[in-house]
Amino acid sequence: MVVFVLVLAVAIILTGCGGQKKDTTVVEVKPIILGVPTALGTIEGADSLRAVELAVKEINANGGVTVGGEKRPLKIESIDTRESEPGLPVHDALAAIERLITDKKPHALVVSSFRSEVLLSSMDLIGQYKVPNIITIAMTTEFEKKLQTDYDKYKYNFRMGLTSGYLVQYLSNIMEHIGDELGFKKVYIINQDVLWAEGTAGGVAKWFEANGWEVVGKDSYPTGASDFSSSLTKARQGGAQVIMPVFDMPQAGILLKQAKSMRVPALMAGFISPAASASAWNTFDGEVEGLVNFIFEIGPIPVKAVPQSVSFFENYGKEFGADRQSKLSGHGPGPSYDAVYVLVDAIERANSLDADAIVDALKKTDTKGVIGRIKFNENHQVIYGFDPAETAIGAAFQWRAPGVRIPVFPGIAAESKIELPDYMK
Amino acid sequence: MGASVVIYGLANSAILMLAALGFSLIFGLSGVANLAHGGIYLLSGFVAWILVNKLGLPFLLAFPVTVAISGILGWLIYWVVLRRVRGMHLSEVIATFAVGVIILELFRYLGFVTFEFNIPVIMRGGTEILGVGIDYQRLIIIGLGILLALLLWFFAHYTKIGMALRGMAQDEYTALSLGIDSDWAAALSMALGSAMAALAALLILPLGIISINMGYEVLIWVLAVTVLGGMESTIGLIVASLLLGFAKTVTGTYFDPKYMEVVYLLSLVLVLAVKPSGLFGKFKELEERV
Repeated sequence: MVVFVLVLAVAIILTGCGGQKKDTTVVEVKPIILGVPTALGTIEGADSLRAVELAVKEINANGGVTVGGEKRPLKIESIDTRESEPGLPVHDALAAIERLITDKKPHALVVSSFRSEVLLSSMDLIGQYKVPNIITIAMTTEFEKKLQTDYDKYKYNFRMGLTSGYLVQYLSNIMEHIGDELGFKKVYIINQDVLWAEGTAGGVAKWFEANGWEVVGKDSYPTGASDFSSSLTKARQGGAQVIMPVFDMPQAGILLKQAKSMRVPALMAGFISPAASASAWNTFDGEVEGLVNFIFEIGPIPVKAVPQSVSFFENYGKEFGADRQSKLSGHGPGPSYDAVYVLVDAIERANSLDADAIVDALKKTDTKGVIGRIKFNENHQVIYGFDPAETAIGAAFQWRAPGVRIPVFPGIAAESKIELPDYMK
Repeated sequence: MGASVVIYGLANSAILMLAALGFSLIFGLSGVANLAHGGIYLLSGFVAWILVNKLGLPFLLAFPVTVAISGILGWLIYWVVLRRVRGMHLSEVIATFAVGVIILELFRYLGFVTFEFNIPVIMRGGTEILGVGIDYQRLIIIGLGILLALLLWFFAHYTKIGMALRGMAQDEYTALSLGIDSDWAAALSMALGSAMAALAALLILPLGIISINMGYEVLIWVLAVTVLGGMESTIGLIVASLLLGFAKTVTGTYFDPKYMEVVYLLSLVLVLAVKPSGLFGKFKELEERV
């Protein structure tokens, strides 16, 4: 028996050793690693990652990225920084980013920080590791200021998403459009009591005051607030013609429902994140009708004037299903998809994966994408405006029965004028 | 403006009372501070959503099924987790808090973070009372909140089971000597309290959309209400709900809505500093008795 076992063992070993010789003529192509360190537990983060996956799939299907005389595929390595969770310290998010950089050694990062304070802190980390980093979610205008404090250290950072400064500009212009179209001049501002929303609401309030509007009132609500009756009562009593909400919290849906039940005769126009995606009509049982809502970067809403936004929206649906398409977040996916193509274009123009060469190429980017024309200013921020032939754009839409989002601003993207909802006629 | 304060003050008070009923029931009848209340509240919302949207059940059927599931969950939490730390109050608090966090974070891990999670209201539309528009759902919450509070009081004071549970909470050894099984009593109160948490969730959550952080917010609400009112008092629960509900509404209307959520935390601090047993607390702290 022992002899049998020994013979069997020897036979197995010899069989293993006698396998086919390794084909040394096959050369493994090393992929270009694209890191995605972001808050994957948020809809913006998760949808942005999917947008990146879509772009990578398309590019790899076309052969990959041409660099150094060969075609190399892209490969995504993602990590959940969890920075959107309540109480999570900034340094935990930074640790996740650093782990991604040191473990996976990405050639570049896309999407990146969700929270503005993580973005600002991560710029030092990025400068230390010298990894090109294209941000598409965090919105603080401090990014551009910090970049200029030590350009050589922070130059690896670029941003393609909308900023809070541009958000103020867009909302102001939407209000100007409403004033011109409907003759309205009295507004009540209701915003979330967080830095970005306070800054946005405060910025637009200044515009109102400088342009002959009457601000009937302005209230801030903490994240988690569930009763907006006091503001809606004051808006009604003050004769507000427009209510401008600025919210990204889920409870903002209560504001919409309460405004309807309290029969406040004012047009709701601003930004409510839960009411931005195509599925919001069903989620709120049609109570979003008449709301004029803002999409930070087009793509999640297709705009006929920008055909790439239409094809992105359609292809996203084909790749991930109609359900995911209907829930596409209004902030992040458009620029995240474009970020991959912009990066690939920069790598191919630089013909190098060297970080400094990529940065120099990125600075010279001038291309058309899902979000419109993509050009960076001197602070590495994509320029946003109102004409997709010249700049990237966001767009406002109005919810209409039976659950359709009709783009109404800017003019080149608009497919209809703003209509007064039934309760205001 | 005054009419709006009265009507929405009542509505907010009813919401607080409804949310806290289950927590108060469990503590009053078994002495267990169930910090998994927020997790069970939120789980009930998601279970109802799954039953309606994924299994196609009509909401009127999903409602009692969800309440039953939550009740069974409460029962299981006692037998699997709490029974081992029965009587060790700090351990009970830690264990139930851990269960609540596990439930909430599990939903976050499973991706229940988008804005699609909405459960239907019982009756759409609204009406005007004293010139103030209010939705029917809030009126239903007010009516059912009062009814459930009365039922809870009746159950605790006039039914054999309720009195047995109260006896267990007051003096476990004496209750044991009279043949009341403490484990059975505690498990039953956990089941009933969890079922009430589900009931509250199915009435309150349709006002907006379901979001995971609401599980933590509800915990702050119920702690504020039960600590202010007194942990074992139904009357205290009602009075505290009214005080906090109106304080929140008045703050939002006449001061700044920014501070509306501060009233809960401020009340907790003040009550614990001045009268730790609460306004109507029966089991006074030694310092209060001396």
